[in-house]
Amino acid sequence: MPTFTYGDISIEVDEDGFMQEPEQWNEEIAKALASTEGVEEMTEDHWKLANYLRDYYLKFGIAPMIRKLCKETGFSLKYVYEMYPSGPAKGACKVAGLPKPTGCV
Amino acid sequence: MSSKDIKIKDFGKKTDKLYNLDLKNLPGLPYPYENWQDSPIPELSEIKRKGKNITLDGFLNIAVPEPETEEEKEAMVAKFLEGLRKLLSRENNWTFLKPLLLSLDNCVKCNTCSEACPIFEMSGGAEIYRPLFRSDVFRRIIKKHFSPGGKLTAKFTGADIDLNWDTIARLAQLAYRCNLCRRCAQTCPMGVDNGLIAREIRKLFSQELNIAPAELHGEGTVKQLDTGSSTGISPVALMDLMEFVEEDITDRTGLNIKIPFDKAGADILLIHNAGEFLSWPENIEAFAIIFELAGLSWTLSSEMVGYDSVNYGLFYDDVQLAKVTLRHAEVAKKLGVKKVVVGECGHAHKAIMTIGDRIWLGECNIPRESSMVTLEDLIVNEKIMVDPLRNDFPVTLHDPCNLTRSMGVIEPQRRVLKKICPQFREMTPHGVNNYCCGGGSGFAIMQSNNFPNWRYLVPGRKKFEQILKAFTREELSPDVHKYVCAPCSNCKGQIRDLLTYYDAWERAGIMYGGLVELVVNAMTDVREGFHEWDFH
Repeated sequence: MPTFTYGDISIEVDEDGFMQEPEQWNEEIAKALASTEGVEEMTEDHWKLANYLRDYYLKFGIAPMIRKLCKETGFSLKYVYEMYPSGPAKGACKVAGLPKPTGCV
Repeated sequence: MSSKDIKIKDFGKKTDKLYNLDLKNLPGLPYPYENWQDSPIPELSEIKRKGKNITLDGFLNIAVPEPETEEEKEAMVAKFLEGLRKLLSRENNWTFLKPLLLSLDNCVKCNTCSEACPIFEMSGGAEIYRPLFRSDVFRRIIKKHFSPGGKLTAKFTGADIDLNWDTIARLAQLAYRCNLCRRCAQTCPMGVDNGLIAREIRKLFSQELNIAPAELHGEGTVKQLDTGSSTGISPVALMDLMEFVEEDITDRTGLNIKIPFDKAGADILLIHNAGEFLSWPENIEAFAIIFELAGLSWTLSSEMVGYDSVNYGLFYDDVQLAKVTLRHAEVAKKLGVKKVVVGECGHAHKAIMTIGDRIWLGECNIPRESSMVTLEDLIVNEKIMVDPLRNDFPVTLHDPCNLTRSMGVIEPQRRVLKKICPQFREMTPHGVNNYCCGGGSGFAIMQSNNFPNWRYLVPGRKKFEQILKAFTREELSPDVHKYVCAPCSNCKGQIRDLLTYYDAWERAGIMYGGLVELVVNAMTDVREGFHEWDFH
């Protein structure tokens, strides 16, 4: 399994750079992962989205549907792509420390 | 080595990459894509390559291991041969032995199959992608190792192939360069099914060597049986999603609909591909609106696996296939429903309605129906009222292979579309002669490494060409909103990815979605504007 290192941080990731042990996630790791996703700075809105995803994942074990995410954060899908260029599933979820989405999604 | 020079006897040759897909050889695309420049195929990093054999064509969608020592390689070869022996014996392969043997025995090498195969065509004619090439590698191995005196006479009987680890590792990769669309089987004058051979090769690797794509196995059937769904949706998460779905129906339509769950004795158990819950909730909503307003007695299930119709076992493994379909049958039996209706998922249709026949026996022999047929009855017999002018935009239909070529469900969805879409037009060819979306056999969910590029460039390119040709030059303006109707979650995922790769929403105004969304968009009992032109 590949290891991702950034400064003092060293974590196990899968082949697409998603965390293998999501429970180890913290804000420093989020910033480090953001650097791989074309995110220059984690703004308040970046955190709002990442924390929303994180909370949902801890509660339900999956990422929420994108429509729900947009409705509940008030962010349009376009704005989500502006913040996280790879999009909600590949970009924002990765930074929030979620595992890679699976199934026919 | 150029594509034309690759012979079957070279299949075990020592080389880092037997075949290189060159973007220059790919057929061009029609208007407005004549000058389209493909993105370069991403290079795989050392970390991604480590420990894997990626020597077929450099694309990675199945992690075939590359053992370090010769002894380990020999052990793997022996294991492969043991698996092959089982595959060819009745007691170990009672499910598909007969069609497999017929397909192995009857080929006359006429290559009609190659002409029918979109992968061969759109690769620009790569030898290794001929449906026949894969089958012949397999035939030669069988001939050499399983016929009397095969090894001694190999050179003279056309069984000349070197059975080393590269041969086997490449065969595993080549089994995953086929969409199992079975267009080749349909056209073969001898009835040979190269798709079935590819699928049996996948099965050998999964069941005997434990080699299968992670998306299908560990994160697919195994996860589905463990958590309830290949998406990881647990019964608890499902309830949260459904609460949102109900709110969303109200926001879109003003209707208050309570989605029925686990209603024992309902007429219909509706079973969706769980991908819809996460990526296309409008599909779940549309089914609920139609069924409720038509006054049907129906229910969804919240039991483990009962809310996810997928069965990736169909693509690679009989044991997993049986486990999942058994679970589906048990859920339906427990609820005591009169019939099961399969939502918009092609391979689930095939798994639940036909292949599962040998499991849905006795008390589990519950009638199963395609949602295309259910919808046809409601619309053609005017049990729900529609105003087609609400869908007055160009619409074309994609035929999911499992639903159409494999099962013959062709006309119901067309009768629906003709009632609700005044600008409906066919693709060419269509129906049983359709082309796969390019995501078939699980490829649509393989999002890692460089494999998505392969499915956009090769099989998907055929579908994209067909989509473009379904519209006139004037209609291809980005200002004219167009809809590709794809009543299958897997196809929808692939078409979404294709339209994204080719930037077709921005450049040509092409959007995609399911069938029920168009139905609800036309229903006079629902306020206008259910369908939103927001690409997602």
